[in-house]
Amino acid sequence: MTVAFAARLVAMVARCSPGWDEAPGVAAQAYAIGERAVELAHTDGRVWEDALIALRDAEAGATEDPRRDFALEQKLEAAAAAPLEIASLGADAAALAAHAAEHGDGTYRADAAAAAALAAGGATAAAHLVRVNLGIRTADPRLARARASEEAAHDVAARLLESHR
Amino acid sequence: MSDAELVRACRAGDPDAWNEVVERYSRYVYAIAVRGFRLSDEDAEDVFQDVFTRIYTRLDSLRDDSALRPWIAQLTRRRCLDAVSARREVPADEVLVDEGSSDLSDVEEAFEVREALATLPDACQEILDRFFTRDQSYKTIADELKIPSGTIASRIARCLSRLRDELDGRNEAPDGSRE
Repeated sequence: MTVAFAARLVAMVARCSPGWDEAPGVAAQAYAIGERAVELAHTDGRVWEDALIALRDAEAGATEDPRRDFALEQKLEAAAAAPLEIASLGADAAALAAHAAEHGDGTYRADAAAAAALAAGGATAAAHLVRVNLGIRTADPRLARARASEEAAHDVAARLLESHR
Repeated sequence: MSDAELVRACRAGDPDAWNEVVERYSRYVYAIAVRGFRLSDEDAEDVFQDVFTRIYTRLDSLRDDSALRPWIAQLTRRRCLDAVSARREVPADEVLVDEGSSDLSDVEEAFEVREALATLPDACQEILDRFFTRDQSYKTIADELKIPSGTIASRIARCLSRLRDELDGRNEAPDGSRE
């Protein structure tokens, strides 16, 4: 939801920049990112609930059950998919915010920087969930993807916030 | 090939042109039936068969070759009303269906956008499809198309601007006469 909010803020900056010829196209991209983020947040909630039930079942089981453990692992893997995409959307929202900060109306450039900061926060939270859901598999390429999205969003946000001090 | 050229080719008996009509309008007919009139898959399939049979047998009655799409829309709507009427067991002219519903206009709009999109350069079609249809991230698009990541948002914005110009041009053009 934080990423969605960041994207909506970018859309607002674009809408308030009538002299910028790319503004309508940037607003459209921001809306698309925002809608995807909301959809993924709902998916994340549903999938995580399934994983949580499976986790409780596993904890309640007195004996080892390989099939149950495999099912739990599958659910936790699925629970990592949505936050991974959300982290990527966070990086996209931050990149779009940077574009809006550079070309949008000067009055709203600080809002674009704020959008990048929010997007970076959303990407961090999402990347953290990916790490938690994937557990100990530190070599998993999805962890690297989540981390790359998080770093990309943070780099943009840091640069924009610094330029507005 | 424009719709008018397609109609002329069909009239000349070109089988490829008939295939193109089906290819170009099958999703449109199906979308009106399913999304616009909420027909079941089975009823939509009947409408689909019937509409394309009518197109095949009645193409000569189309007065304006460039008005193929509105003509197909009209045939489809009539046939959908027949299907709804048969389900509800009331005459077709007494069936109350909101033909101005947002679902029907969404179908129309989606089709117009698809047509306009097809007129854009391949690079624009590609990047818009990747971002808006396949939900690809800027990074994925940049990696796969081998273009700098920082230019993706701008490229998409410019392509959207071209798409809007194309759609505006279409909306300003006079409507074709309908059967």
